Amino acid sequence: MNAATVIAVIAIAAILFFAARYLYKEKKKGNHCVGCPYAGSCTKHNNTGGCS
Amino acid sequence: MRIAFAGNPNSGKTTMYNALTGRSEKVGNWGGVTVGSKEYKLKKEFAGDKEVIAVDLPGAYSMSPFTPEEGITSEYVRTANPDAIVNIVDATNLSRSLFFTTQLLELGIPVVVALNKTDINEKEGTKIDAEKLSQKLGCPVFKTVSTENKGLSEMIAKAISLAGTIQTAPYLQADINLHDKAAVDAEDRKRYSFVNDIVAEVETRKVKSAESTTADKIDAALTFPIVGILVFAAVMFGVFWISQTWLGPLVADWLVGWIETFQGWVAGQLENSPAILSALLADGIVGGVGAVVGFLPLVMVMYFLIALLEDCGYMARVSAVMDPIFKRVGLSGKSVIPVVIGTGCGIPAIMACRTIRDERERRATSMLTTFIPCGAKIPVIALFAGAFFSGAGWVSTLCYFFGLVLIFLGALLIKAITGYKYRKSFFIMELPKWKAPSLKFAFKSMMERAKAYIVKAATIILICNTVVQIMQTFDWHFHVVEEGAENTSILASIASPFAILLIPLGFGVWQLAAAAITGFIAKENVVGTLAVVYGLTAFIDTEELAMTGGANTVAMTMGLTSVTALAYLFFNLYTPPCFAAIGAMNSEMKSKGWLWGAIGLQLCTGYTVAFLINQFGTLFTEGHFAAGFVPGLIAEACMVAAVILIGKRVRSHFDEQYELHRKVVKEGAAA
Repeated sequence: MNAATVIAVIAIAAILFFAARYLYKEKKKGNHCVGCPYAGSCTKHNNTGGCS
Repeated sequence: MRIAFAGNPNSGKTTMYNALTGRSEKVGNWGGVTVGSKEYKLKKEFAGDKEVIAVDLPGAYSMSPFTPEEGITSEYVRTANPDAIVNIVDATNLSRSLFFTTQLLELGIPVVVALNKTDINEKEGTKIDAEKLSQKLGCPVFKTVSTENKGLSEMIAKAISLAGTIQTAPYLQADINLHDKAAVDAEDRKRYSFVNDIVAEVETRKVKSAESTTADKIDAALTFPIVGILVFAAVMFGVFWISQTWLGPLVADWLVGWIETFQGWVAGQLENSPAILSALLADGIVGGVGAVVGFLPLVMVMYFLIALLEDCGYMARVSAVMDPIFKRVGLSGKSVIPVVIGTGCGIPAIMACRTIRDERERRATSMLTTFIPCGAKIPVIALFAGAFFSGAGWVSTLCYFFGLVLIFLGALLIKAITGYKYRKSFFIMELPKWKAPSLKFAFKSMMERAKAYIVKAATIILICNTVVQIMQTFDWHFHVVEEGAENTSILASIASPFAILLIPLGFGVWQLAAAAITGFIAKENVVGTLAVVYGLTAFIDTEELAMTGGANTVAMTMGLTSVTALAYLFFNLYTPPCFAAIGAMNSEMKSKGWLWGAIGLQLCTGYTVAFLINQFGTLFTEGHFAAGFVPGLIAEACMVAAVILIGKRVRSHFDEQYELHRKVVKEGAAA
């Protein structure tokens, strides 16, 4: 296994891990619509815990 | 300590709230943008060492709620006992604003009046004597300009210092029977007379309200039905042409060039690594996400232009011109607002339906509003417009106006099913004053949405593309799929049954079915998945400095004709939105029956539109119907039968109610 392969495996694992962790954290915060331009300032999100 | 921010719609409450708290809540140059209360701590520069919570409330004209959001405001100030109230008064319309002010002053809670938008007054030569107004009202009055942070520190310091004191009222409502409409009307007239007397003493106007100005003449033209709609069509065509044909692709080209170079570099580094790694990292992650991010400039330019239109006050005129049409098809005049907001994102659009009083109209609007393509659908539109129609600006315009037509047709269908009869209803919406749009506001709005777009691309779309790439690379035994045997992959075997259903629509191949399915997670996924399954990562031609057009690689690889490409585009635009938007629909409709009805209606609409375009388009271009005409016709007949059955079922409930009523009458008569 060459160095490029090792780096690629680590990079893929890291990218997916951080993406999944971000989604998990947002969901835990009550933001059910990650990527919605209003997700952070959604009225329902602030008061009743999520748009959905 | 809590300070409530209350005032008339479009008086600038949320802009002030954002300035004081550092938040970036949605603002708009029309009333009804804020539909629920929001709370956040004041910035230290305003609150000092104290912890002060600002509560932004929806706009209200009076303490007697007429709309649901007005109810939130009146209930909050009555029951939540805030320590102080900042009453934001639109200085350009003092007489209307002070009605609510005098009601707030009766609550006993200390009130500070923020005379907002005083910069516009200065330009128009209107003068308000703030000191005299303060004496008349018995509370402090500050001149403020929220957009420039003027007067906010003094105003908020005063509000904090007054907490805990008792407010005296300059006008007290007489002890009347609140159930007696005539008595309430008479009392309101007295209050207006009191307010008008104050205004006459404190305000001097250069331009009298009754005078017809140039702006009034422009408004009369823009809100005149035919002229207004034609101007709207021309304006939107301009927006799409700039964002998707001219400036957007020009900027996108530069970005795509970088993405391509990076992708090439990654692929080069992995030359001696297993092919799956190169496919995952270079094609799936960098290529798939890059294909979506490549459209970011188009989306940003469009959001920038829409923000300019919103800020100058044009969108409010559009609402006014659309109002009569919406009412005629059985929706509310207020349904216009969700539709306008829906050009950005379907979720806040569905939430904005809350301002509609009538339950049937509210549910029908939240069911139909997502027919207007949201920002997430722009990459899909741009891709197909670019690849199959030489980047023609008319494609985007057609998508939006066809969305409007579907809303009207859908509303008529719901009207027929629910047995609704047209009745007169009122839509009160003030036309905000025309103003030069703020570039800062438009830039901020654009950047917020761009950030959200990138976050989505780097999370949901990235994960989806990786999963799609893995499912495409392996078969069910987790063996790498050989070249030429792509149909044995996991993805192909899952998507193929769906693809059969799409044969009458002209795109019955598993790749296109898979892209449409992943679109339900996020609509940008359609582009990302197409990039992965077809191995096409550059949808924008970097050499021609424009969107790829005509018979190019994208069009040839997908194997679609212009007719089937349009059918596929419309299928993706008008089938149900993403899951998040469906969730928002669920919250607003509060009825499983209506929710399933909405999903069914959207699925049937997308399917029917694509079927008609494909079959009749093929008939016109090739002289015969396309493949799957008869099965498609059977599917359509089933949909029509389902609609008739649902209609009958809904109406039978009316009959049951009627019968029950008659029995009661008969029994009563017998007794």
